[in-house]
Amino acid sequence: MKLTVNGEAYEARQAESVAALLEEMGIGGRAVVVVLNDEVIPASTRSTCGLREGDCVDLFRLVGGG
Amino acid sequence: MKRQGKIRDEWIVGGHRFSSRLLMGTGKFQDAETMAGAVLASGTQIVTVALRRVGRIPQEDDMLGPLQQLGGITLMPNTSGARNASEAIRAARLGRDLSGSPFVKVEIHPNPHHLMPDPIETFEAARVLAAEGFVVMPYMPADPVLAKRLEDVGCASLMPLGSAIGSGHGLATAEMLRLILRDARIPVIVDAGLRSPSEAAAALEMGCDAVLVNSAVAASGDPIAMAAAFAQAVEAGRTAHRAGLMPRGGGAALATSPLTAFLSVEGP
Repeated sequence: MKLTVNGEAYEARQAESVAALLEEMGIGGRAVVVVLNDEVIPASTRSTCGLREGDCVDLFRLVGGG
Repeated sequence: MKRQGKIRDEWIVGGHRFSSRLLMGTGKFQDAETMAGAVLASGTQIVTVALRRVGRIPQEDDMLGPLQQLGGITLMPNTSGARNASEAIRAARLGRDLSGSPFVKVEIHPNPHHLMPDPIETFEAARVLAAEGFVVMPYMPADPVLAKRLEDVGCASLMPLGSAIGSGHGLATAEMLRLILRDARIPVIVDAGLRSPSEAAAALEMGCDAVLVNSAVAASGDPIAMAAAFAQAVEAGRTAHRAGLMPRGGGAALATSPLTAFLSVEGP
């Protein structure tokens, strides 16, 4: 399934949900906020929130900054 | 005479009470361990963090973990990277989701050469976010007119720059800061430009409520020791402000010791 993740083309192997995509990308356990097609997906609905061909996913986290 | 105990000297921002008057940024540190050590040594209670997209291969240190282990730290996500108000508002909402904190440092500096805050976009973002219930802490030019406007739209504090971000030029805006302090009814925090602890002390002596430092600590020879030095300087400056500086002399010197000519032979 072709997705756009953080502005780049991404070929998801088997991710059918947001939670599965995070697992596939190796960031399942990290504190990230997920924005799917400009809408924030709460952590509680990640495993039930399905992905469709062409979806845009943006993932953000907190880093050091001043 | 009885020795005075330490007086409780707290300050309140957006309804939240703090005793440390040193805010710390967490950027530019060599590693998360040094950052956490400096935060601990500084005694700070408010630290800034930034929002970034997750890289394809996550490799940066986890910043949140070490900070959360310290306890007693309020996170203040910034909106760095936003070029206008709408990007800053979006970043603020994402930062709140990630940090669970209502604090936001509104930071909009579109020109990478000088990183000066855009007053118009900053005002607009602050207005919207304050109405949404954020504790809005705007990084702003040291402009007393803008300061009043930001206060009027519900900002929790004012964070005027001492000099350009990361420049280490100290309190270049001192005269403007005095004008801001004269009229402000919310805390004034000098954010950006400080290099040495003596500059932080000077800001507190002048009447600023707090200072925010990052590069001054992170880019110093020994960040943990420097964080401790800033903590002491901020405390000294605040104590001096409360004590009240002596009046300046009118140009002539005033002796501190009696000037009686005790060496000359006194008459019978």
